[in-house]
Amino acid sequence: MDYDYDQLGGAQEVGPQIKIRNVSPANVDFMLSNVSLAFANSLRRVMLAEVPTMAIDLVEVEANTSVLADEFIAHRLGLIPLSARNVDDVVGSRDCDCESYCDRCSVVLTLQARCTGDTNMSVYARDLVVSEERPNEYVGNPVITDPDGLGSLICKLRKGQELKMKCIAKKGIAREHAKWSPASAIGFEYDPYNRLRHSDYWYEEDAKKEWPLSDNAKDEDIQPTDDEPAPLDPDPTKFYLDVETVGGLQPDEIVQQGIKVLQSKLAMVISELSREGGGDGGYQSPQGYGTAYGGGAATPYGGTSYGGRPAGY
Amino acid sequence: MEHGSHLDNSSSTFSLVDEDHTLANALRFTLNQDPRISFSGYSIPHPSENRVNIRVQTTGAPAQEALKDACQDLMMICQHVRSTFDKAVADYKMRNPE
Ligand SMILES: [Zn+2]
Repeated sequence: MDYDYDQLGGAQEVGPQIKIRNVSPANVDFMLSNVSLAFANSLRRVMLAEVPTMAIDLVEVEANTSVLADEFIAHRLGLIPLSARNVDDVVGSRDCDCESYCDRCSVVLTLQARCTGDTNMSVYARDLVVSEERPNEYVGNPVITDPDGLGSLICKLRKGQELKMKCIAKKGIAREHAKWSPASAIGFEYDPYNRLRHSDYWYEEDAKKEWPLSDNAKDEDIQPTDDEPAPLDPDPTKFYLDVETVGGLQPDEIVQQGIKVLQSKLAMVISELSREGGGDGGYQSPQGYGTAYGGGAATPYGGTSYGGRPAGY
Repeated sequence: MEHGSHLDNSSSTFSLVDEDHTLANALRFTLNQDPRISFSGYSIPHPSENRVNIRVQTTGAPAQEALKDACQDLMMICQHVRSTFDKAVADYKMRNPE
């Protein structure tokens, strides 16, 4: 069902607005409006590449008599989606005091399989055994969403073949390796009618016939006319985002965490600038930004020093 | 973070390590909305170096303050989007129970 804040006493409210179009266990489809393209794109990028999740990062191979090479299987193990629920409880491996890995910065998953029957045996993600000692009870659990409860296929074994491996899952972000991406895809579109002329469609005879209209067009307020002139203000303000999760985080959690990551980046710059300012300009920060930008949803960020500007984006 | 130009504080280049378009483009856009800014832009000098340089020139105000205000503006937008999103999702789930 449609949800519009304008109809719910939010009419006086300017600034960013959100309309949820669909929420499912796999995705969240929403409309973000009254923000700049720069902001919307930053949100997209941060959700794709900088929200921390868990993935297998080290594999100790004790036995592998399968037809697949050690590193081939290690790569497949790395790509298996693991739960990243409450991943904040996990210490970043580079920030941890330990030598290579420990209970605070990793989750150990063991894989042990041997084919004894005459038919080939499939080894699935459900066969990974998660160690008890880990930062919390969710983190590192293989994501299993198929009706049979198998999870991802890792390898197939013939009679007599064996796998014995110790997998160490760590916290990371997709900027380092795509296996840590919380989102398998993020749909991102604005201006489906191309009224702003940001796209120049290639065509053989008729661009209108050859380029099917996006589904998002039905949520546009204005239907363009054929002879419409190019608009004076070419900036889009309405964005259609569809975030699809790999499975480690709830889709709406990816959005929330994404914004949080963006905020911690900003907080870092602010605190850095406040620190520097004391030295050469005599500028003192009115608020203490020294603290890490945590989960709080109601931080007192006051207005900026220059007035007269409308909410400004 | 490093920054250049100590003689004239109305123009500076801020060099952010481990950041990229994600932060820099949003800051650049926000800075350009500020009437005190005469120029702002960013560049990534080399793709294999995790660094972005943000140039800020103002009509007189300290560049550092302008950048800080841009950060605070963005922070507020984030905060607003976050609470709006939370509300919208909660409401959607309430109206569409599984
Ligand atoms: Zn450790």
